[in-house]
Amino acid sequence: MAKLPVSLTINGDEHDLLIEPRKTLLAVLRDTIGLTGTKEGCSTGDCGACTVIVDGKAVTSCMVLGVTASEKEITTIEGLASDGELHPVQQAFINTGGYQCGFCTPGFIMASKALIDENPNRTEEEFRHALGGNICRCTGYTKILEAVLKAAEEIRTTR
Amino acid sequence: MSEYTVVGQTVARVDAVEKVTGAAQYGADVHPPGMLYGKLVRSKHAHANIRSIDTSEAEKLPGVRAIITQDDVPSGRRVFATDKVLYLGEPLAAVAATDPDIAEEAAELIKIDYEVLPVVQDVIESIKPSAPRLHGDDTKDGPNRREISGQIRKLSRDKENDHSDEISKLEAELEAYPDEVYYNISAESHTEAGDVEKGFAESDVVVEDTYVIPRVHQTYMEPHVSVASADSSGKVTVWASTQGPFAIRSGIAGTLGIPLTQINVIGTTMGGGFGGRFGVIITHVPAVLLSQKTGRPVRVQMTREEEFTDGRPAPGCVIKLKTGATNDGRILAREALAFWDSGSVSGASIGSTIRVRGVYKIPNLKISAYGVHTNKSGTAAYRAPGAPQAIFAGESQLDEIAERIGMDPVKFRLMNMREEGDTVPAGGEEPKVGYKETLEAVADAAGWWDREAGKNQGWGVAVGDWTNGCGPGGVYVSVHEDGSVRIFHGSMDITGTDTAISQIIAEILTVPYESVTIRRGDTDSAPYSTGSGGSVVTFTMGNTAKLAAEDAHRRVLELASERLNTNVDNLELKDGEVHIISAEPPKSISLGELAAYSLSTTGGPIVGKGSFARQASTPALAAQIAKVEVEPSTGRTRVLKLVASQDVGFAINPMAVEGQIEGGTVQGYAWAMMEEMQYDENGNVNPGFVDYRVPTSADLPTVESVIVEVPAPNGPYGAKGVGEPPITPTLATMANAVKDAIGVRITELPIKPEKVVQALKSNGHDA
Repeated sequence: MAKLPVSLTINGDEHDLLIEPRKTLLAVLRDTIGLTGTKEGCSTGDCGACTVIVDGKAVTSCMVLGVTASEKEITTIEGLASDGELHPVQQAFINTGGYQCGFCTPGFIMASKALIDENPNRTEEEFRHALGGNICRCTGYTKILEAVLKAAEEIRTTR
Repeated sequence: MSEYTVVGQTVARVDAVEKVTGAAQYGADVHPPGMLYGKLVRSKHAHANIRSIDTSEAEKLPGVRAIITQDDVPSGRRVFATDKVLYLGEPLAAVAATDPDIAEEAAELIKIDYEVLPVVQDVIESIKPSAPRLHGDDTKDGPNRREISGQIRKLSRDKENDHSDEISKLEAELEAYPDEVYYNISAESHTEAGDVEKGFAESDVVVEDTYVIPRVHQTYMEPHVSVASADSSGKVTVWASTQGPFAIRSGIAGTLGIPLTQINVIGTTMGGGFGGRFGVIITHVPAVLLSQKTGRPVRVQMTREEEFTDGRPAPGCVIKLKTGATNDGRILAREALAFWDSGSVSGASIGSTIRVRGVYKIPNLKISAYGVHTNKSGTAAYRAPGAPQAIFAGESQLDEIAERIGMDPVKFRLMNMREEGDTVPAGGEEPKVGYKETLEAVADAAGWWDREAGKNQGWGVAVGDWTNGCGPGGVYVSVHEDGSVRIFHGSMDITGTDTAISQIIAEILTVPYESVTIRRGDTDSAPYSTGSGGSVVTFTMGNTAKLAAEDAHRRVLELASERLNTNVDNLELKDGEVHIISAEPPKSISLGELAAYSLSTTGGPIVGKGSFARQASTPALAAQIAKVEVEPSTGRTRVLKLVASQDVGFAINPMAVEGQIEGGTVQGYAWAMMEEMQYDENGNVNPGFVDYRVPTSADLPTVESVIVEVPAPNGPYGAKGVGEPPITPTLATMANAVKDAIGVRITELPIKPEKVVQALKSNGHDA
């Protein structure tokens, strides 16, 4: 299949690539760039494991074609920690035990970060509904919600 | 204050940073140079004869490197279907290509000529003489045909109880069963204790009902995947997302006739398993065959849709259950007849039907269980395999009895629970278990005793029991010159077990948890370890780790005795240093110094070895209470409160233990209220998350967990396996809460809104 040129900014690095138009952003991140922290759980946009942040918004990267992400700023789980410091959302997931097998965790962390960036003042109930697009099979969500609320609180107070 | 410093404390898990940064390497993250992408070619029919398989068009597609069928399996062991398929999605061939999209295109180009056969998906239909025979053995002595005694079909219907039309029809069918033979039977299991007929005759109240529990998928978030690389010398390396690398090694060896020493299985970080990640055929064997044929590494990764059509989910079942009790609340007898939907092969957990006995003194017990073939994929374990199904029936029926004799459901259970030294029906003697403590703890935490319920609100309680397994394992421990400790073993981390092992070793060697690191080896390098399932790891590997640390501890004291010129009896290891007991002035030497010294001794470095196989396990109880509100017009049930307690023996890492309780409870909730793999004559019809709904954070409130600790005599520090028990009672907890809210007993799961509305209507309620 003929390939098209795209220019992606991923975690601050620019990538000029030739990709098949049928490849999803998820496939480009994982197979072409080698950033495997973003996970493939369903390929139908239903589980949220592949969530990345594109121009400030959380998207399921299995539902985005790589070619349509050209010229956009993409942040993946690998780009969240900076200067050897974990992002407050990452730290909160550790402190509260908000992960178990860890497969859904990158997606949850990215979705949570985007939600907190947008509005850190959400109530628990609002976060519960806003995170309804991410599936976790291990935790039962109790400790994930605890992590998100703690991270939101920290981000509120340090902003 | 705990007498321990590291065990019993909440610590960050050993894999914390790698899991929150995306660095953890799961199966599909493995990408050796030159890797090809494999794709399985699957049956498009649920039951069909295969006339031919034509791969010629697919072979012409650029990028295709290999296509294999059963003809390419040198050992002849069945990997692919040949003349007949028994379920939708059964593998017939596999493709390897340079790109995953090309592999998929090629799979579509393979032409299969089917002769479609009649299909049976329902266990009660399948046992009838009129059903299609899946394994073609309808002769009198065929292995899948069972003579039955008329007795077990005598469980007659209790006309007083509420029933959906579907359950009534099912019971009528069972009663009117036409023959003395069951067909399509894959296995059977019978247990008897006491005399149930006598028990029922002496009972004041006898309740009988039929319970239908659907097949559900473990739904681990990482679909099955393996990467195999066969080199020219015949050596095979497999990166496998599996709960049991050593079982996969022997499975591949046995299936493909490859010597054990020629296979190395590298367990990758596991994206959930819940019992479903032991199978060897699903992706591992096809990946090896494709790699052998192409000479290149091959990854075979299932899609979510393939997970639903060709995964190995938990079996559904139909359980007829009858219980007799006296008016003063003593359970006298219980009888069960169960039909487990085993799918196309045997293997459903029919033996777990015994779980209907619960943790109660039931003097008379009789159980008959059958595995029944249908046109579905085979089944596998799912978190306490078979227990949630059986306990749903048992605990639902207990509430019916409690209601009829006018006794509080918690008091009724407390009154009948076994105590230490009691006889376990069809079992041995009861050890000390916190049955009552756990139920009382959940009742207190939930506010059961002064509970209030508004209109259409209700409370439900149930308990479930499970006993952790046990198996062989080995652990090595090294102490280094800087005083740090390295652990080496071969068991897969199942969400926190590596952390528990590290805590145990830090405790014994009296070093900070942070100075302990743990390394999991592959099957080439690590000592043998049993699979990570059956709640075995903390029990087995915890005991193994303890032995290894104690072995290292012995060597540490031996070295210190040389260095400090005193008998080992005068020495103690504390805070990472060996002290001479009551020496004045104090005299001590650090672990690091001893490790450095050990290198120049004749005895050698500090290496502890632990090897363990089994010790008797102690049962664990999970008790749960839910408060719900049902909206009669829509049938929607909202959970207002969900409290879960569990006797964990001893919580080595309390936060991780809470996580297991919360996660298991929510899986149980989902089985009760949402999940159901649906099948018609074409096979599975809901192979995706839109139609097979699993809970999200929007579906539930916070789960309140309550840890109860009644030590297990043989567990490390008294710990029991904690992973499986919490899923066992939730199905009944939810059904009992719904019954309390609206007065209607739902015996067929899941309790979907439409079922609630229908049940209310058939019970004379106006919506």
